Amino acid sequence: MKKISLALAATAVALSLTLAACTSPAPAPSGSAASSAPATAATLRVWAGSTTPITVDFNPFHVDTALYGTYGPIYEPLFFFNQLSSDAPVPMIGQSYNYSADGKTITITIKPGLKWSDGQALTAEDVAFTMGYGPNKTDKMISATATDDTTIVLKYSSPQFTAASQLLGSTMIVPRHVWSKIDNYMKETNDNPVGSGAYVVKTTSDASYTFTANPNYRDPVPITNVQFLGIDSNQSGQDLLSTGQIDWTGMFIANPDSVTGTGAIGTMNQQQDPTVMVTCADASKGCKGDQTDVAVRQALNVAIDRSQLAEKAWVNLVGKANPAFVLLPRDQKWLTDSSLAESPQTANAAQAGQILEAAGYTKDDKGFYAKNGKEISLDLFSPDGWTDYNDAAKLIAEQAGKAGIKITARTVSEAEYWTPVTDGDFQLAMYGLTQSVVADPFSNYDQYFFGKSTAKVGDAPVRGQNYSRYSNAVVNAAVEAAAATDDEATKKAEYAKIQAQIAIDLPYIPVVLNASQAFFNTKNFTGWPTDANLYADPLPYLSVAPAIVLLNLKPVQ
Amino acid sequence: MKFYLRRIAFYVITVWAAVSLNFLLPRMMPGDPAAIMIGKLRRASGGRELSPQVIEDIYALLGADKNTSPWDQYLAYWGRLLHGDLGLSSTRYPYPVVELIGNALPWTLFMVGTATVISFILGIVGGAWVGWKRGTWLDHLVPATALLQSIPYFWLALVLVAVFSVQLGWLPIVGAYDPFEFPSGPEWSWDFFVSALQHAFLPALTIVISSIGGWLLGMRNMMVSTMSEDFVVTAEAKGLRPSRIRDRYAARNAAIPSLAGFSIALAFVVAGSIVTEQVFSYPGIGKLMIQSVQGLDYTLMQGVFLVITLTVLAANFLMDLLYGLIDPRVRSHG
Amino acid sequence: MADRFAGIRYLMPRWSAKLGAGLVIVGLITLFGLVAPFFTADPRDSSNKGLLPPSPEHLLGTTKLGYDVLAQLATGTRGSLYVGLLGGLSAMLLAIVFGILAGYFGGWLDEVLMLATNIMLVIPGLPLVMVIAAYVQNTEGLGDFARSSTLVALILGVTGWAGSAVVLRAQARSLRTREYVAAARVAGERGLRIIFVEIIPNLVPLIAAQLIFGVMAAVLGEAGLSYLGLGPTNSITLGTMLNDAQTGQAVGSHAWWWFIPPGAMIALLGTGLALVNFAIDEIVNPKLRLAPQAARQQRRATTAGKGVAGGGAYA
Repeated sequence: MKKISLALAATAVALSLTLAACTSPAPAPSGSAASSAPATAATLRVWAGSTTPITVDFNPFHVDTALYGTYGPIYEPLFFFNQLSSDAPVPMIGQSYNYSADGKTITITIKPGLKWSDGQALTAEDVAFTMGYGPNKTDKMISATATDDTTIVLKYSSPQFTAASQLLGSTMIVPRHVWSKIDNYMKETNDNPVGSGAYVVKTTSDASYTFTANPNYRDPVPITNVQFLGIDSNQSGQDLLSTGQIDWTGMFIANPDSVTGTGAIGTMNQQQDPTVMVTCADASKGCKGDQTDVAVRQALNVAIDRSQLAEKAWVNLVGKANPAFVLLPRDQKWLTDSSLAESPQTANAAQAGQILEAAGYTKDDKGFYAKNGKEISLDLFSPDGWTDYNDAAKLIAEQAGKAGIKITARTVSEAEYWTPVTDGDFQLAMYGLTQSVVADPFSNYDQYFFGKSTAKVGDAPVRGQNYSRYSNAVVNAAVEAAAATDDEATKKAEYAKIQAQIAIDLPYIPVVLNASQAFFNTKNFTGWPTDANLYADPLPYLSVAPAIVLLNLKPVQ
Repeated sequence: MKFYLRRIAFYVITVWAAVSLNFLLPRMMPGDPAAIMIGKLRRASGGRELSPQVIEDIYALLGADKNTSPWDQYLAYWGRLLHGDLGLSSTRYPYPVVELIGNALPWTLFMVGTATVISFILGIVGGAWVGWKRGTWLDHLVPATALLQSIPYFWLALVLVAVFSVQLGWLPIVGAYDPFEFPSGPEWSWDFFVSALQHAFLPALTIVISSIGGWLLGMRNMMVSTMSEDFVVTAEAKGLRPSRIRDRYAARNAAIPSLAGFSIALAFVVAGSIVTEQVFSYPGIGKLMIQSVQGLDYTLMQGVFLVITLTVLAANFLMDLLYGLIDPRVRSHG
Repeated sequence: MADRFAGIRYLMPRWSAKLGAGLVIVGLITLFGLVAPFFTADPRDSSNKGLLPPSPEHLLGTTKLGYDVLAQLATGTRGSLYVGLLGGLSAMLLAIVFGILAGYFGGWLDEVLMLATNIMLVIPGLPLVMVIAAYVQNTEGLGDFARSSTLVALILGVTGWAGSAVVLRAQARSLRTREYVAAARVAGERGLRIIFVEIIPNLVPLIAAQLIFGVMAAVLGEAGLSYLGLGPTNSITLGTMLNDAQTGQAVGSHAWWWFIPPGAMIALLGTGLALVNFAIDEIVNPKLRLAPQAARQQRRATTAGKGVAGGGAYA
C-alpha cells in the first residue's frame, strides 16, 4: 500500500509538471518578450484595466461598461485634444472647425473620402446624426444639420465655447445606417461594431479580446493586432509586465525601478489629477460637522504634511497640488497670483493653532481644539482597496492630531463610498478630481466649484460634480462670465476672481497631484511618447489617446 | 428506504430555506443600487447630465419596486427562478446573471472539484497508512499536518505565486488558460486541455496543501481506534494477510466517519477556494462572488450565493447516498 | 475511599511531548500578544522611514508607511487573539445550545434545532459571512463599531457553530443513555440541571477541543475577511497586517519582513492549538494514546525475537 499510494502521488505530480514543461517553454523572468505563443512582431499586448470575466460591450453610449479600445481605436471623435499640451487639437474625422462670434453656432468640416469599417462612406450626414442622437443631444441644442457632404452646422441656444472638448473631442461618431435602426441604445452590446477607427474587433473571449487593423482606414496602421487582457489584481499585472508577457499598461507601481531596471520597459509618469479632501462645506445646504467652519478647513490645510504624504503614501511619485486648481506648467498663463502656485508642503501646527484660536477655539486638556466645551471631531473616509487614499487618510489623521484637530480615518466599501459623497452625507472624504483635458482650467471650476453644479444635502447634483455643496456668488458670476466669451484677457480676469475665493474658502483641501504611471515595451516597439515629444498621454485606459499612440508606434524588426 | 426519504425531505427543506435566505438578505442590505449605478454613469460621462430615459431604465432594473408587497415579490422571485431567470447584472450590464454564472461554474467544478477529490483521496489513503504505522516515527508527521492546516490560504497562495510563477517562471501567474495562445477563448483541443491543467495546477495545489491535513488526521485517528477493535484481532487470529486486514476491515470502517465529516470539511474548501480564486484570478464562481459583493451587484450576488449553496447541497446529497450505501447501519436506523 | 480528584485527573490530559510543545507555543504567543505591546514602539507611529529591512533599531523592519513591524505584530497578535477568543466562545455557546439541548431532550426540539443546524451547515460559510459582513458594516448609525474587531468576531461566531453542534449533539445523545443520567432523572432532577451537572462536565474535553477549533477558525476567518477587505479595518490584527502588506505591494517590493511574520504567526498559533487538541483527542479517545504505545511495544518485541505475532496488524 505504501508503494502504491506513493507511486500514485508521485505520478500525479510528475504528470502535471511534465505536461507543464513540455507543452510550452516557461516565460523567462527577465524583460524579454513572452514566448508562450510566438508573438508576431506586430501584436501588442495591453492591460488597460479590464477585469475578468470580460463581457463584450463595444457600445460607445455605455460610458461605464464599454470595453477599453471602444473610444479611439474603434470609434473616433472629430478631433483629438491632447491633455498634455496646449497645442491645437489634431484632426481625426474632422478637418477644421470654427465658432461664431457669439459661440452659439459651430461649423465643422470633415475630411473627404472617409469610409466606415464595413466599406460604406462616412459623410457629414453621419456626424449630424450622431450629434443629435440619444444622450449626445443636449437640451441646449437647437439643430444639427449637414449642409453638404463634408460640412456640418451645429446651433445652440447658449454659448458653447467651453464645450469644445466635449463636443469635438469626446463625442464618438457613429454610422447612421446602423444606429438609426436601434431604438433602445442602452440595451445594445454592439458585439460587432462598425466604426471609423484604425481597428476592428477580431476575436473576444472571457479572458481577452483582440483587435486587428481596419483595412478601410484612411492611414496606414503599423501595429496589426492589439490584444487587450483581463487581469484582476495590480500584483498580477506587475508580475506579467516584469515577465514580459504584456507590453503596455497604466497602473501604480510603487517601485518602478524593479520593472524598468532591465531596460526593456520604459515608463512615464504624468501628474495631472488633483487628489483632495472633499469637505461638505456649506451648512446652509444641510452639511453637518465642524468642517463647515472655514477656519477649521484653513487650519487643516496648513496642519497636514504634504511632503510626508507624498513620500509615504505615494512613494514620491506624485506632484505638488495648488489651491488655485491650475495645472502647472501646462496652464501657467491662467494663474494670476503666483503665491497660489503651491500648497504648503510641510506641516505648520503653530499656524493651524493661530487660525483656530482667532476663530474662537481653545485647546482643551487633551490637547485638542474645542469651542464651547465641544471638541472638533471630524470623520474622514476612503474606499477599501484604494491603498494610496487609505494610507494618506491614516497619515492625515495623525498629522492633524499633532496640530490639535481630531480626525478619525476609516475605510468603507467602494459602493458605500460614492453614495454619501454624492448625497452630501459626509464630513471629509479622500477624493480625486479630474483635471481639465484642455489647457484651460475652466472645467475644473465649472464641475467642482460652480453653484449650479451642486445640490443640497440629500439630493444628487443634476449636472456637474460639485459634491462639496459650495456656492459662492463671486465664483458663480465669474464662471458664467468666463463661459460666455472666448477672449483670453477676460477669462483670465474671471479666473483670478475664482482663484482668490477658492483659495480662502477651501471647499476641497488640496493634497497632491496624483501620478499616472504608464509602462511600455521599448525593446519590441518604438515611437512611444517621450518627455521631449508628448504627442499623447501613453495611458491605455484613456479615451482616444491610445489610438493616437498606436498609430505612432512601430514594431522593432 | 425511510433513510433516503428522510434525507430527500431534509434537502428539499434546506433548498427552500436557502432560496428564502437568498431573497431576504440583499433586500436587507443598505445602499441603493440604482443610485450607485446612476452615480457611476454620471462620473464616467464627466459630469454630463444623464437623459431621463436612462435614469428610468436603471430604476426599472435595480430599483426597489415599491408597488408590490414583499410577499408578491417573493412569489415573483420563485417564479423567475423556476424559469431560470436570475436577473441582469448591474456591474456587467446588460449581461444576464445566468450567463455569467454558466461561464464561471465549470471552471470552479474543474479546479476546486478536482482539488477536493484529490485532497480527499490522498488524505484518506495517507491517513490510513499513517494509522497503520501507528507507534512508529510517522506519528511525528501528525503535527506537520497541523501546521499545514493553520496556514492562511491566501498567504500560501501568494507565496507560491511569488516563488514558482514569478521568480522561477515554472507555472503561469493568472487565469484559467493561456489567453495568448487561445485569444478566442476555450476550445475542444488537447492543447487547450493541457493549458487548462497547467493553469489549474497551482491553485489546486494550494487547496490540496491546505485541506489535506484535516482528512489525514481524521482518518489516522479513526484508523488507530479501529485497529484496536475486537474484529481486527479476530481477523488477525484467523491469519488473514496484513494488507487484507488493513484495506477490507480497518480502512473501510475507519473511512466512514470521514465521509460523515465531509459536509463540514466542504465548508472550509468553499471558503478557501473563494480566496484562492481571487489570488490566482481564476475565473470561477468564488471570484464572481467577491466581485459582486464588492460592487454591490445585488442580482449577481444573489445568483452566485444560490448556486454555491445548491452545489454544496448536491455534493452533500451525493455523499449521503454514498454513506448510506457503504454503511448499512445508517439505513436501518438513520 | 476514592480519591476525590480521581475524576478530574482522569479528565486532564496526559503529559506528552506534543502537549508540552503545544502549550509552550500557545503560551508564548499569548504572552507575546498580551505583554509585548507595552514594550514595543507605537504601532501607529509613522515617523520612521518606510520599508526599512530589519535592523537593531527595528527588529522586523518597517512597513510602507513607516510603522514598526514588530510593534504591529505584537498588537496584531493581541487583536487576533481577541477575535479568535470572542469568535470561538460565541460559536461554542451557540453549539452548546443547539447541540447539547438537542441531543439531550430529543423529540421535536431535537428535530427543530437539528434542522436549523443542518441548514447552517450546508449553506457555505464564507459567502454567508461576506454578505452578512457587508450588510452589517454598511448599516447606518453603527459608526465606529461597524468596522470593529468585536463585530467581526461576533459575525464569525454566529456563522461558525454548526460543525461543533453536530459533534456535541452526537455525544450528548449517547450520554443520555448512561445509567447515572437515568438515575438523576428518576431522582426527579430537572432536565436543565441534569445537563449542567451531569452531561456538560463529562463533555468538557470535547467542548474544549471544539473551542480550540473555533478559536482557530475565527482567526483564519478574520484573516480571510481582511484579505477581501471586509475585515476590522479600524483595528490592528494579523489579518489586517496581511491585507496591508498585500495592498502595499510588499511582495513586489521584496519586503519579506512585512509579509512573512504575520502569516507565520497565524500558522504557529494554529499549530500550537492543534497540538493541544491532539492531547485532548487522546483523553476523549484513549485508544489514540494506548494503541500506538501497544503497537510500538509489539514491534520492538518482534524485532527482538520475543514476539508472538509474526506481523499481521503490527507489521
